[in-house]
Amino acid sequence: MSYVQIDNLTKTYKDTIALNHLSLTFDKGEFVTLLGPSGCGKSTLLRSIAGLAPTEEGSIHVDGVDITHLKPKDREIGMVFQSYGLFPNMTVLENIGFGLRMKGMKKSEYEGKVKRMIELVDLVGKEQSYPHQLSGGQQQRVALARSLVMEPKILLLDEPLSALDAKIRKNLQVELRRIQRELSITTVFVTHDQEEALTISDRIFVMDLGNIVQSGNPEEIYTHPANEFVARFIGNYNVLRAEQLRQLTGGGSFAAVSYAIRPEVIQLFPEHAGPEPSGNGWLAAGKVKDITVTGNVLRYLVESQDQRLQVDHLNTAKELWIQRDMNVNVWIPAEECVPLG
Amino acid sequence: MKAGKLFHVSVVTLVMLYLFVPLAVTFLYSIATDWYRTFLPEGYTLNWYREMLTDPRLLEALWRTLFVTVFTIVLSILLMVPTIFIVTVYFSKWERLLQAIVMLPYAIPGVVAAVGLIRIYSDGPLAISGTVWIVIGAYFISILPFMYQGIRNSLRTVDAITLVDAAELLGASRIQAFRHVVLPNIMPGVMASVLLSFSILFGEFVLANLLIGGQYELLQVYLMRRMDESGHLSSAIVVFYFVLILILSGLILKFGRSAKEENA
Ligand SMILES: Nc1ncnc2c1ncn2[C@@H]1O[C@H](COP(=O)(O)OP(=O)(O)O)[C@@H](O)[C@H]1O
Ligand SMILES: [Mg+2]
Repeated sequence: MSYVQIDNLTKTYKDTIALNHLSLTFDKGEFVTLLGPSGCGKSTLLRSIAGLAPTEEGSIHVDGVDITHLKPKDREIGMVFQSYGLFPNMTVLENIGFGLRMKGMKKSEYEGKVKRMIELVDLVGKEQSYPHQLSGGQQQRVALARSLVMEPKILLLDEPLSALDAKIRKNLQVELRRIQRELSITTVFVTHDQEEALTISDRIFVMDLGNIVQSGNPEEIYTHPANEFVARFIGNYNVLRAEQLRQLTGGGSFAAVSYAIRPEVIQLFPEHAGPEPSGNGWLAAGKVKDITVTGNVLRYLVESQDQRLQVDHLNTAKELWIQRDMNVNVWIPAEECVPLG
Repeated sequence: MKAGKLFHVSVVTLVMLYLFVPLAVTFLYSIATDWYRTFLPEGYTLNWYREMLTDPRLLEALWRTLFVTVFTIVLSILLMVPTIFIVTVYFSKWERLLQAIVMLPYAIPGVVAAVGLIRIYSDGPLAISGTVWIVIGAYFISILPFMYQGIRNSLRTVDAITLVDAAELLGASRIQAFRHVVLPNIMPGVMASVLLSFSILFGEFVLANLLIGGQYELLQVYLMRRMDESGHLSSAIVVFYFVLILILSGLILKFGRSAKEENA
């Protein structure tokens, strides 16, 4: 049996189904991510694991114990809220020590533990500060330390980084992962940012409409999206229906309903040229309609056989020959066309 | 000076004058011996103040009013803070209902309320008509809207729901979460409601006069009665009242601010 096992979990609010017979499992020490668009039920799932949102159906087992009906405080689960949820009337030290104090420990007993936690999250020197005197990133660290000091069985993180600006966010992603490894704490991380999910996770659960639509490690999710929703959400996949692909490639038999092609696997060649040696794939004439520079990536919009394709290439000198409104040959490798269910 | 700024300054000056001049004139009148033939008073005296302050009735009335107001507000805090907290955090579907009930007093004019209250409470199991309790009851109701708004807004501002969730996940009971986390953070906001309720109750006349009048003479009623005696005396009373409320407000504001600083 897996460390965490969620079966058939269902939760409705008045007229919305927030969790729709959702099941998932993961192992001890794993860093798993719930990825999905806003409103798909990520927070609801976290809150029901924490015991803050009672569910109508289904069960949650942690380490073989049924916790479905336990009170939040008896579950030994830590949670970091998107809005931090720090206690404004307490210092950093008091915030982090709050849980231990509630356990009946004296300040002298828990101070050492809290100090070590403050070192772990790199907040030395801020012990006596109040939350409003800290930056967003620092507040998030306090919230993290406050949960971690309780040594929870599972750490839940609800979009902990989404309120922070890009740079701090990248740093915290790395640091979060370091801390998670150091403590080998089972972690459930929620985000709606696919890049963040792919960078940070051991395992990703993609959610849509209160359900898990795909699970796997980042590599699997990225290279083999299970359906059109995942393909569109996870990358900027080109999604083509079978007959569109047939039209583009000028024949061939395509059994699945639709196919996803990553923008970076499509190659462009000058008119009348092609790959050498030409492997298994299709060459089609097309025209470059638009070029955008997104830093290290050049993004082409290419039209071929009435189909529009997005093509991403690394921004190098090799690409300089490609101009807007130029006629080109488009090469689509056959093994990169991922059939979607 | 730019025209726009000049305009702003003159508007503010005018408004200040409009508010301040009557007060200044009232003050002058309260220390004047005679003031009807000349532009400024003919002489100055503190007799009116002496007369007012040496009346034992005044002090008694002051204590009564203080008792009634403080009692009512303390009662309101004790009952309303937990109620609004519980409804906001645990029973949010009842919030609408609570809000509707609490806002009702807004809609009922004092006179109507007074007549209704007297009729209901003059006999039957709860015959408190003519006692101080009926005033306290009525006052409790009339400050409900302000207490409710203030408390609920503070709960929202500090995001009490998340704070409670966080505290409970860290092992606090609901009561501990309320006491250690919610209460200290909403205190400044609650103090603001208290201040407002204080000034409302201190100036309230209709209910005080109709419900209990001379039987339990409150400061407002006493002052109104004495106003008929002399213009100078009544001016002294107005100034006295103004200073009293100023001091009270100052105290409460200061208290509220220091509570906030403690939290911050
Ligand atoms: N307290 C609530 N009352 C009513 N509907 C809610 C409540 N919380 C969430 N929902 C609804 O449940 C669905 C899932 O919400 P949520 O779990 O917050 O999504 P996510 O975190 O993925 O953005 C949404 O449609 C949302 O509107
Ligand atoms: Mg959410």
